[in-house]
Amino acid sequence: MSQLFTSPDVPQVLTTTLSIPYTLTPGGAAGQFLAGLAERRILGSRCEPCARTVVPAQDVCGRCGEQTPDLVELPHGGTVTSWTAHQGRVVAKIRLDGADADLLHVVAAEPGAVEVGDRVAADWAAEPTGWITDLAAFTPGRARSGPAEATPVARAETSVEMVPYRLDLTYHHAYGPYYGRMFDELGSFSRLMGSRCSSCHRVLLPARAICDVCFARTDQFDEVSDTGVLQAFSVIHMEFVGQTRKPPYVYAEIVLDGSSTRLIHTVAGDFDLADAASTLSIGMKVKAVWKPESERVGTLEDIAYFEPVIP
Amino acid sequence: MSNVAVVGAGQTHHARRRTDVSQVGLAREAAVRALQDAELTMDDIDSVIVATGPVLFAAVNQPEKWLVDALGARLKPVVRVTSGGGTGLAGALAAVNQIKGGFAERVLVVAYDKLSEGALQYSISTLYDPFWGREFAVGIMGFSAAYWKARMDLLGHTEEAAALVSVKNHRNALLNPYAHVRKEVTVEDVLASRPLCWPIKLLDVPPISDGACAVILAGEDAAKRSADPAWIRGMAYYSEGENAADRSMIQSEPLRIAAEKVYREAGISNPRRQVDVVEVQEPYTCFELSYYEGLGLCPPGGAAQLIESGATQIDGDIPVNPSGGCMGANPIGATALIRLAEIAQQVRGRAGAYQIPDAKVGLMQAGGGWANLRGVAVVSSTKN
Repeated sequence: MSQLFTSPDVPQVLTTTLSIPYTLTPGGAAGQFLAGLAERRILGSRCEPCARTVVPAQDVCGRCGEQTPDLVELPHGGTVTSWTAHQGRVVAKIRLDGADADLLHVVAAEPGAVEVGDRVAADWAAEPTGWITDLAAFTPGRARSGPAEATPVARAETSVEMVPYRLDLTYHHAYGPYYGRMFDELGSFSRLMGSRCSSCHRVLLPARAICDVCFARTDQFDEVSDTGVLQAFSVIHMEFVGQTRKPPYVYAEIVLDGSSTRLIHTVAGDFDLADAASTLSIGMKVKAVWKPESERVGTLEDIAYFEPVIP
Repeated sequence: MSNVAVVGAGQTHHARRRTDVSQVGLAREAAVRALQDAELTMDDIDSVIVATGPVLFAAVNQPEKWLVDALGARLKPVVRVTSGGGTGLAGALAAVNQIKGGFAERVLVVAYDKLSEGALQYSISTLYDPFWGREFAVGIMGFSAAYWKARMDLLGHTEEAAALVSVKNHRNALLNPYAHVRKEVTVEDVLASRPLCWPIKLLDVPPISDGACAVILAGEDAAKRSADPAWIRGMAYYSEGENAADRSMIQSEPLRIAAEKVYREAGISNPRRQVDVVEVQEPYTCFELSYYEGLGLCPPGGAAQLIESGATQIDGDIPVNPSGGCMGANPIGATALIRLAEIAQQVRGRAGAYQIPDAKVGLMQAGGGWANLRGVAVVSSTKN
């Protein structure tokens, strides 16, 4: 098999980033806790039967599983119960006065200057944004604001209902030998190479080590034609976050001549997309239209689109 | 063989966005209702299974850890099960196996998704190969629309037949107090609605919902202490790869295999006659048509005729989705479990305004992808 993978230029890693926007819902007590921070109040919840007060406020007591209808406003001072340093910042568990569980937050101090048992006090952001960072940090010393002890309060009127959030996730996908060769062939010679099953001789695209149908190994690369048959299609009008092209366009599944698998691509050409439903038909021949050589980057998008072959 | 039954079920009020609860609050709401329905407390529950869709839907990894306190499940076994659109049923099957294996006597299954929080189609598109096809992916909708067109040509699953599914399920959802969408639509409305991924149009598509469902399953001894258990006569969930060679995508092999196995276990040879009521998970209207054939309610190519005949209407001889199905609400991770809950409530006589009279044998189907993940269960008011 080693002779299958001879090129020194085989690509190694594909780096991709998913950037996904979210609107998170804190819900009930957590929403009221966040709203409270904007008013420089630290709200916890108290389970009377368990005699436990936790912060941030929770809708449910983790000890007994019952709902905790009682909110309490906590003092702004507390004690460091443990800490660590991350990127030069001190992250600490802080036991606020009157609470029975710790709050995880940042202590604005040098790592060497913090010890378990230190007294710290809440420090507030100048401009609240409805997020945990409205409580900017804890600073060493005594609290100068806030109630003297945990004080019962009515359920707050205000609540933060939505928090914008975003995940930017970067991945480094390994091509491996089969995809490496296949994309190298695509990038170097603009040809599609599938792997051929040693037993049933089906050609599989994308190339892979094992045949899906008979589970035998594949033993050679075969060039697959850039013409094929339109197996299925739909016309995309919908827009969505993360979409890579502008609607309308055709979503197409194509079985290339010489292969036994589906290639996902798009069909376009000398027809109006409004008429795609009547112009295109399942089973029709299509042919790849390649981008100009200067624009090819070694991905499936080197093929601009497939166009119907008019016999 | 040991028998297992559904002894309680509950669901949330579903909505496009539930701003009053977090993910955990949503899950708790359903769990509390299921416990009330079963007249049990968390003390009676030996094990908890959490079933949700991909974590990219709502940006919280290992959400089951977050749920432990909210469910009152501290120091109980809690695991998460996920399997595409059929996640809720995969969770229920794991619970059945925990009971049959002797690990637990009663298991709480909680399934939910809070789809308002993330980017749905983008998240679903990440199930495609990052090297090969993801750049053209349109969630599962572009793909489904493409093969619906193929089924139209080969099996006669026309846009008009699919529109009848939309009309029926929307109308049934009017009776469902938990439904997210409650509005009547006509065939003309569906056909004239905006194309999203032609041939799929806006009114072929269920809502995107925040919602949760919980079901309590019990072994035979525990279930006998319940007034009206819904006995699970058979349950299966099968899958196959999506990019394998030589796949026609016209009929679902996993559905055929799952139905055969479950019918054999339940002693069903003619589902159309032996089953009283059916709940199926229809991500788009065209799916319900293909399930009619895959479940053997009609021969291949007979689905359009079956919906046109009125047989699957709430007053027909084989009612399908009297609850309104996904058209009423579609919190994806919970949807499959909602189908199980609905069918169990039917044979327990607890389906309220959409109760099918004297329903004794219920059939449910759930799954994900266009054809590659499919599960089936039969429940009845009597055990094997």
